[in-house]
Amino acid sequence: MTNTINNVEFVRNLVEDNYKVNKTEVIDQYQVSFEVEKEEVHRLLAQLRSEGWIQMSYLSAIDWIADNEFELVYIVFNWEKPVYIQVRTRLDRDNPVMESIMPIHPGCKYYEREAHEYFGIEFPGNPDFHKPLILEDWDDMPPLRKDFDPRAYSDAHFSSREYPETHENTLGQESKVAQRESRMARVFKVGKGGKK
Amino acid sequence: MREMKLFLGPQHPGMHGNASVHLFVDGDIIKRSYLLPGMLHRGFEKGMERHSWVNNISLIPRVCVVEPDINEMAFAMGVEKLAGIEVPERAHWIRMIVLELARISIHLMAYGGLGGPTGNYTLMYHAHADRNTILNIFEKISGHRVYHQYIVPGGVRKDLPIGIEEDIHEFLNDLESRYTEYRDLGIENPSIQARINDTIMLPAHVVWELGVTGVGMRSAVGKAYDIRKVMPYARYDQVEFDVPTGTYSDATCRIDIKLQELVQCIGIIRQCLEKMPKGEVRVPFGKGQSMRWTVPAGHVYSVVESSRGEFGYYMVSDGGTHPYRVGVRGASYPQGLLGIEKYLPGTRIDDAALWIDTMGVCSPEIDR
Amino acid sequence: MESTKFSPITKLSKEEVDRKWWEIGDFFRRNSLWMLMYCTGCCAIELPPAMTSAYDMERLGMGPMATPRQADVLLVTGYLSLKTLRRVIYTYEQMSEPKYIVGFGSCTINGGIYHDSHVVINQLDQYIPVDTYVAGCMPNTEAVMNGFIDLMSLIKNKKADGWKRYKENYEWYKKNQIDSLGEVQVHDEYHQ
Repeated sequence: MTNTINNVEFVRNLVEDNYKVNKTEVIDQYQVSFEVEKEEVHRLLAQLRSEGWIQMSYLSAIDWIADNEFELVYIVFNWEKPVYIQVRTRLDRDNPVMESIMPIHPGCKYYEREAHEYFGIEFPGNPDFHKPLILEDWDDMPPLRKDFDPRAYSDAHFSSREYPETHENTLGQESKVAQRESRMARVFKVGKGGKK
Repeated sequence: MREMKLFLGPQHPGMHGNASVHLFVDGDIIKRSYLLPGMLHRGFEKGMERHSWVNNISLIPRVCVVEPDINEMAFAMGVEKLAGIEVPERAHWIRMIVLELARISIHLMAYGGLGGPTGNYTLMYHAHADRNTILNIFEKISGHRVYHQYIVPGGVRKDLPIGIEEDIHEFLNDLESRYTEYRDLGIENPSIQARINDTIMLPAHVVWELGVTGVGMRSAVGKAYDIRKVMPYARYDQVEFDVPTGTYSDATCRIDIKLQELVQCIGIIRQCLEKMPKGEVRVPFGKGQSMRWTVPAGHVYSVVESSRGEFGYYMVSDGGTHPYRVGVRGASYPQGLLGIEKYLPGTRIDDAALWIDTMGVCSPEIDR
Repeated sequence: MESTKFSPITKLSKEEVDRKWWEIGDFFRRNSLWMLMYCTGCCAIELPPAMTSAYDMERLGMGPMATPRQADVLLVTGYLSLKTLRRVIYTYEQMSEPKYIVGFGSCTINGGIYHDSHVVINQLDQYIPVDTYVAGCMPNTEAVMNGFIDLMSLIKNKKADGWKRYKENYEWYKKNQIDSLGEVQVHDEYHQ
């Protein structure tokens, strides 16, 4: 395989010269991430695909509730020049809409359906992104958002087993305190000389 | 054209795992098909945010039940990259032995899983008896048969017990001597060859369209695209092994590649047992009490080569005691969901269960 | 003329005759239990070593069965997500009586490691009647074989009557099911 340091340099030159990048992060010799604006994502992914990054590995979202934003992550890979490229954008949390990338990578159809189900992000361009995939008859808010509490939902809807708190002496054993007192009584009786 | 709806449902003798395939058939030919996931959904990614970094070690292996060590390895590699710690030398070699033993056990289970859809139960009995020996070896190493919790961030939990090398050598010699018998029962058997020759092909352009990795990709494209060779982790660049490939990707070719990979795994384990140095096996990745260990902020995507393809964990940390977001990329996600929707129509009903077995669709890692 | 050689035959009541036939039936039932092939969760990975020649369960008389109409025992192996529980209830009501249920793992007892999850139920015997449990996460194969022998001795002592409890308390079980699951009718986009 080709030299890995040259691969990362090749990718950085390709992306930073042609697109407006907010932040670049080189994680190690096989991984690079670029944070770009929402409008540049399609053009960037299409050009990367024509340069050899044809395998779509992962697509998902992160909920930054303190900044009031969602962050979408696309990860692509090239087997000839092995570098994982992460492309990240930020979306507004109150109205998250992002054009689907199905014309570029058809394999992202089910990843986008799952992101809609867990976060509520909409992907116009994907024919059936609104249909439920993994959850069935779900009536609450999208579950991977940070303001959803699974423990409260579980306590409200499912009853859990109650264990009775009784402290009974069911085996008929002597208590530890009584055993210790009888032991000390024996010790003191012998120490004072036995039978008088 | 009249279509009939059939469910290759969750309760079926030939089904691997708890997922159901909905088929619309005309006679014997499938016209449309969909996989219905979600029966094994547990809310893992939400649960991992509620446990601390050290507590997650006990939750992580339960994502994929047949091969739990790849989960622990991907999580450990991700935490080590974020925290910037270096694992001792002996731990790398022990990790390789555990991962290759897990790969042998799942290839045996997939090969024996041919028995359900084709009706050849003798093969299944042989494969599961051998797999039971591997589970007994794991019990001696780590204390549990299935969920080992042995590969932790910072190394492995404790050293190998005394006398384990004789057990591993005895098992490997026994398996190697019966390899031709395994081939005669399954792949050279004329009654099974009628089911697996020239069926469920996977053309090369489909691989790049769906994002399929692993045995499916190597059997269609013909190149050695394996993460252990391309981006080696944990001392895989110091052992010698081949990566089998093929170009005519029917079911026979994929099963043949799996059997050849099994032979390569035996070679890797023998080289590891010779070359292993002595030393310590674990370093801590934080200071103070282990329930309050923190990991510095950052993003990382750590990847492991599992028997079904590329298995990755995308981890985001904000510098606290709990992970901020963990996303799991199941290795069989593309071929399970989109593969069944686009490339199963046109085949016969009895090929649906064979697709799930030879392409390696594992439903717990699709649902998480 | 009455004969003096033979003493009068005592006639047994109908209930006693039924009970004796039922005891004979229990002897045959407990020595040939057929389990339904349905792996609902994690703990199902310990069933192949029990079924095959490692810890052979056919010497106890148990074997696999493909359809619920002809199976005797339903093994609920592991945790129950909401989607799976609807289908398990659907399957349980299709089995013919008498029928038994064995719950594997600690997730059927009190929710296990997923007790705070929003899609996993916490206590299985609120929804369907369970006869015996096998504890562990996951239980060893020898524990699984012990569980089967426990079920057989429960049948012998006439304590394995989960199916009778389901019939008698049907409204209570139905109310619990609808409270947690919404509705038990299986509706997904492919069922219409």
